[in-house]
Amino acid sequence: MLITLLLTLLIAFGSFAAMLLAGWAPKLGLDLQGGFAVVLVSPEGTDEDTLDTAVEVMRRRVEELGAVQEPEIFVEGDRRIVVQLPGVEDRERALRAVGTTGEMSFRAVIDIVPESPYFTNPDGDHPPNINPETGLSDPDDVNEVGYLEAEDSFAIYVVSPAFLTGVDMEGGDAQFSSSTSHGGGAGGWIVIPGFTSEGGEKFRNATGTLATFSVGSPQRQLAIVVDGVVQSAPAVAQDVNPAEGLDPDQVVITIGISENPQQEAEDLAAILKYGALPTTFERERVESISASLGEDSLRAGLIAGLIGLVLVAIYMILYYRVLGVVAVGGLIVFGAFLVGALVLLGETQGTTLTLAGVTGIIVSIGITLDSSIVYFERIKEEYHAGRPLRPAVDHAFPGAFSTNLKGDTVTLLAALLLWVLAIGPVKGFALTLGLATVIDVVVAWFYTRSATWLLAHSRMLDGGWFSIRGAMARGPDEPAHEDLVAVDA
Amino acid sequence: MSVLKRMYRGETDFDFVGAAQKTLIVSAVLVVLSLVLLVSRPLNLSIDFTGGTVVVAVNETDATVEQVRAAMSDIGLAGARVQLTGEGFIRVQTEALEAGPQDEMIAAVGGVAGVSVNEVTVSAVGPSFGEEVRNAALLALGIFLLVVSLYITWRFEWKMALAALAALFHDLIITGGIFAAFQFVVSPATVIAVLTIMGYSLYDTVVVFDKVNENVEHMQDRYNYTEIVNTSMNEVLMRSINTSLTSLLPVGSLLIIGSLAFGAETLREFALALFVGISLGTYSSIFVATPLLARWKEREEEWERARRRVDRRRATGQMEREPVAAVAVADDSVMTEEPAAQAPTAPPAGSGATGAMPRPPKKRKKRR
Repeated sequence: MLITLLLTLLIAFGSFAAMLLAGWAPKLGLDLQGGFAVVLVSPEGTDEDTLDTAVEVMRRRVEELGAVQEPEIFVEGDRRIVVQLPGVEDRERALRAVGTTGEMSFRAVIDIVPESPYFTNPDGDHPPNINPETGLSDPDDVNEVGYLEAEDSFAIYVVSPAFLTGVDMEGGDAQFSSSTSHGGGAGGWIVIPGFTSEGGEKFRNATGTLATFSVGSPQRQLAIVVDGVVQSAPAVAQDVNPAEGLDPDQVVITIGISENPQQEAEDLAAILKYGALPTTFERERVESISASLGEDSLRAGLIAGLIGLVLVAIYMILYYRVLGVVAVGGLIVFGAFLVGALVLLGETQGTTLTLAGVTGIIVSIGITLDSSIVYFERIKEEYHAGRPLRPAVDHAFPGAFSTNLKGDTVTLLAALLLWVLAIGPVKGFALTLGLATVIDVVVAWFYTRSATWLLAHSRMLDGGWFSIRGAMARGPDEPAHEDLVAVDA
Repeated sequence: MSVLKRMYRGETDFDFVGAAQKTLIVSAVLVVLSLVLLVSRPLNLSIDFTGGTVVVAVNETDATVEQVRAAMSDIGLAGARVQLTGEGFIRVQTEALEAGPQDEMIAAVGGVAGVSVNEVTVSAVGPSFGEEVRNAALLALGIFLLVVSLYITWRFEWKMALAALAALFHDLIITGGIFAAFQFVVSPATVIAVLTIMGYSLYDTVVVFDKVNENVEHMQDRYNYTEIVNTSMNEVLMRSINTSLTSLLPVGSLLIIGSLAFGAETLREFALALFVGISLGTYSSIFVATPLLARWKEREEEWERARRRVDRRRATGQMEREPVAAVAVADDSVMTEEPAAQAPTAPPAGSGATGAMPRPPKKRKKRR
């Protein structure tokens, strides 16, 4: 028991101290710390519904980036969307997530050329969406022939109008592929797109057509285009039957040479998952923003928490004497674990703590103490029912723990479901709640049980007002039950 | 012995189920009243839900967030969200305002920023906690309630699941009613407070039900369901009081500091929702969920038979014991009658709630 207790304390405070030494602190949310805002402008005359859809797509993409970032995204005026994000890390990535249209198309390759014919012949006639300076399609129109650059080569792809677009797709999954069969060289990050049943059919037909071209011809290649850039252009394999085409389940998009191919694959998967933005946005400006609550609110919250904590400690110690000290100690262990977990999540997942989160932790004080209270009341009950004190301490724990476990299961269920299903601030709450519940069980089992057991086997079992017996609500003038039982025996 | 002292010793014998006849009526009235209020005076939703107006001005005076917020408080817009941007702008967001107050606000922002009213721009903003976020949250809630009901049905029984849900809705509706009555602002933080209340209310009810079930196991031969429920609630009474006290102390200090300290309006409304909700959560486990369950179970054939059997035995003197709840404990009865526990057929009278299930003497001798 002593070892369990010491180990628990060591892990709790050791990890806490390590975090302090490493200079890690919980990441604060937009309301407490500020962050940055990007203002995006849609084309003139964009209707309200389109903007609302865009806000939702952006929100889901940002949430896909990290565990909880709690962005604030809203429509401002007639055609602007403001995205406010906490912190400054990974700013570029977040900007890409909200700003990328994410329009995806599958096109047949017509030709692969070193330069666009419009670039080599700048004075000739060209379609209106061709940029005369580069000779490339700008913007790319999926219903027209496109002149596009490629992600991982310097060649220019001339591609047909799209036979498949984002509406034919659903979902997307980033994976690491170690095989070379996808044409990705010595393995690398790939994205596996999902097709609707109609999209799958279109895909079979189109690849069947491509398979009729001779092997080695560029026209056997299939260009996968995201936002006007050819991501990859695999050729249809030699053994594909033109009558059947390719199985859409086998399609992968390889990620080209990049600084962080994993991140790129994940970002692309997120974009595929939540669909393209309904319109293109231009980035009007990016600016930093201050916290909206400022330090006074945070300070007020922390002071309130501290006062509450002191009051609770006084009450618990007056009521449960030395057991109250155990309970308050449990609260401190709980706090160390919780802060440690939040810091870790902040560092790895970008989880942020808003004012609501801070107050949520303050609220969890009482709920955490409940596991101790249920235990102590049960010791009292067993003792009053005639069990000697020390066995009562041992015997009360399993029952009390099972009660706590049932209650905590309900809470954990709530947290898990909210985490999976909800979006926005509710998701952040679910995370804190779930963490607190799990830590509560851990503290009850490893800390409270062993600390109480040790006390029951020390002088604190029976030593006046402050002892465990002192907390059992019987004055010295009243003989304890076991004395009577001794007579019986 | 005073009531408080008896409570401390865990020797109370309050007739909770009997008292619930009155408290259930009070609860029902409060729920109906809250529903009427919720319909007649819709909740005062914050800009996160409704969108509103944003006012932007160049910050010529280098005003701080606190200063701008003070200026907003002066014109009655304490809930405004103030931000400073890196490019030296002040940005203030409020709910949509009438022309008059809006002009007042523009003037106030211009004043604190040190620019003329013409240089302040105003535009509309949409909600950041829009329909989709709300729908996702509601869906999550619906599924959560379903899963919790299934869990309670599995661990306990479906009647307990329904009683727990009744208590939960009781807490939520009355909290909503209070927010509607006083037109407190409902922000995403309040929504989170409500979710916390839900978790708390259910947790509390599950703890009480767990006790009831445990007592049913070893008391069902000698007592009827109402008595078992009363005993259980007397047993968990101090636990309920202590847990809600230790939860309410921090929330209470949050509420007081939130009301006193400047700029902590967000804290105040959040703490208020929690304070009311946690109090209701404790109250409803004892006075709504469990009495409802007791009444329901008493109608079951099995428990009706149990009641008749217990009554018959008591009438024939096989069991010289009054119903636990009805008997008043003599102050000194605890100790003096304890040795009577030797006779298993005649349990000690009135050793209080905890004494209602004396352990058989055989067991004690074993330990000695």
